[in-house]
Amino acid sequence: MAELTSPIAGKVWKIMVAVGDKVEMDDELIILEALKMETPVYSEESGTVSAIMIKEGDPINEGDILISIG
Amino acid sequence: MSRKQTPLRPYFEKMPAIGKELSEGEIRRSRENVDLVREQEEILAREADRVKNAGIPAKKIHERGGMTIYDRLDYLVDKGSWCPLHSLYNPRDNEEGCTGVVNGIGKIEGKWAVIIGFDNKVMAGAWIAGQAENILMVTDMAKRLNVPLVWLTNCSGVKLMEQETVYAGRRSSGAPFYRHADLNHLGIPILNGIYGTNPAGGGYQGISPTILLAHEGANIAVGGAGIVGGMNPKGHIDAEAARALIEGTRNFKAKDPGRVETHFDQTAYFREVHDTEQGVLDGIKDYMRMMPAYEPTMFRVAAPAPPRFPAEDLNMILPANQKRPYDAVQILARLTDNSEFMEYRPDYGREVFAGIAKIDGFPVAFIGNRQGVFPGYPEYANGAYPAVGGKHYRQGLIKQGEFVTLCGRDNLPIVWLQDTTGIDVGDLAEEAELLALGQSLVYSIEQTELSMMCVVLRKGTAAAHYIMCGPQANNNNAFTLGTPLTEIYVMHGETAAAASYARRLVKEDEAGNDLTPVLDKMNQMIQDYQDKSRPAYCAKTGFVDEIVSLPDLRRYIQAFTGANYQNPRSITPVHQMLLPRIIRG
Repeated sequence: MAELTSPIAGKVWKIMVAVGDKVEMDDELIILEALKMETPVYSEESGTVSAIMIKEGDPINEGDILISIG
Repeated sequence: MSRKQTPLRPYFEKMPAIGKELSEGEIRRSRENVDLVREQEEILAREADRVKNAGIPAKKIHERGGMTIYDRLDYLVDKGSWCPLHSLYNPRDNEEGCTGVVNGIGKIEGKWAVIIGFDNKVMAGAWIAGQAENILMVTDMAKRLNVPLVWLTNCSGVKLMEQETVYAGRRSSGAPFYRHADLNHLGIPILNGIYGTNPAGGGYQGISPTILLAHEGANIAVGGAGIVGGMNPKGHIDAEAARALIEGTRNFKAKDPGRVETHFDQTAYFREVHDTEQGVLDGIKDYMRMMPAYEPTMFRVAAPAPPRFPAEDLNMILPANQKRPYDAVQILARLTDNSEFMEYRPDYGREVFAGIAKIDGFPVAFIGNRQGVFPGYPEYANGAYPAVGGKHYRQGLIKQGEFVTLCGRDNLPIVWLQDTTGIDVGDLAEEAELLALGQSLVYSIEQTELSMMCVVLRKGTAAAHYIMCGPQANNNNAFTLGTPLTEIYVMHGETAAAASYARRLVKEDEAGNDLTPVLDKMNQMIQDYQDKSRPAYCAKTGFVDEIVSLPDLRRYIQAFTGANYQNPRSITPVHQMLLPRIIRG
């Protein structure tokens, strides 16, 4: 089980996957927004999305867990 | 046994490696980005074709046994070295679709030159609007780079129907003659291959360079023979005057003045006359072999080497989505020799990188914006907000000013890689002295005698576009390039629309009015900003000197570097350089 964390403080702008989706390493899973810039979060390994801890529009802090991949 | 080596070998032979190969995921994700780059490239290619086909068809010139300007350049310039500039420049939106001159940097007989010629398909090389500015940019470039200027003159003089757009004014079509005198004064030779009929302005264009080589049918003169009428005392043309003009023109037999019989046989202004067009170009080649140029070995610090990563990667790394960050070092790794870079103060002013790299074995400085978010920085914000890449903060501005000053001392030409949204704003930024530090960087640039080139990779915005040696740095900036992803504007269209209409929105809202008309204006403004900042627009208006495909950038940087080291006005002995020692510590 891998957990993806937020690299920055900001807002969740887009979630590109749903629970159960198969993902490959380097796939774009979430786009965060901060200071008018988009910060994409990529999958660090291949697997299946097992949980999404955030929803679009949520404010987030650096280090918050965003998604789990099993 | 004799032994030889490059200077300061411990510093330059093997510098720190940068960059990495793209992952499968990065390649997969970038497909759409590559398509967006190609889309812009196609727009630019169509524009370039349109300019190349301006005026009468090339076929007509060929049927007369002549060569077009493009044929002449093709014959004259060493294969693979031509770097066109100002290809789409047409700031006054001339009906000709161009400014009637074609120019760029290229090698002739192995030596770099700034090369310019009149497009003889367009009104036989007439003076048309915007042309003088185009020529002045080119003469300034020869001065900045200290390399010969090569002219292919074929100039029929003023387009008389639009004389008010070219004749008078500080930067009008007469100004290049003073620029030629200035170049001669500075010891920068101007070679002139002369074709066709060159009266009046064309005559001065013919006479003002250093060495004149003529085609057998060419002439240069104070005025042409074609003006058959004198003053019309009536102040208008009536049927009687028209009849006199018709008769006068029919009976007009005089040859153009200033022919070879005069300016070769009698005045001896022309050094050579050739009975073929190619012969004139061969004459220029002969003179180019005489031009001052050091052997590259004189200034090389290592053997030339290509980057370790493919240039085509650049289309995948630089995001078309202007809000997306990227690793700027991955760009740099596809531009520098052997993908090496000796970075100056990497832990200070993290939003910009500065350092020394090699291009074709010559030492060259690079400065550019990093992208992304930098938590815990800038230090003066005390965590109130994080820094974002593309913006400038206190440390970054100080670092750039220091680095530029040291480059001036070490005579390192600088390549600026701009992708900037501006300088930090607000009370904290003012207290941190960013206004003065921005201007301090301008001062540092101006204080050097260095040549610099600027690449606006993506965004050139606000004062940051100026302070990073944009084209406004008239005395240092040799030329500025854009890419298929370049956007240049004072601020983003949405920001500008908000700044312009926010109070109006409040007023309309408080009055209970429909907001739609204001919103329409705001969206129209955003669209206008978009339309007037795209690459083709930037090239047409002269925001940049050329839009270049990303994989082609290195070729232009090689031209800039090679030209700089061909005959430098000032030399720092490599073993006396300070910057490599400061970087190593």
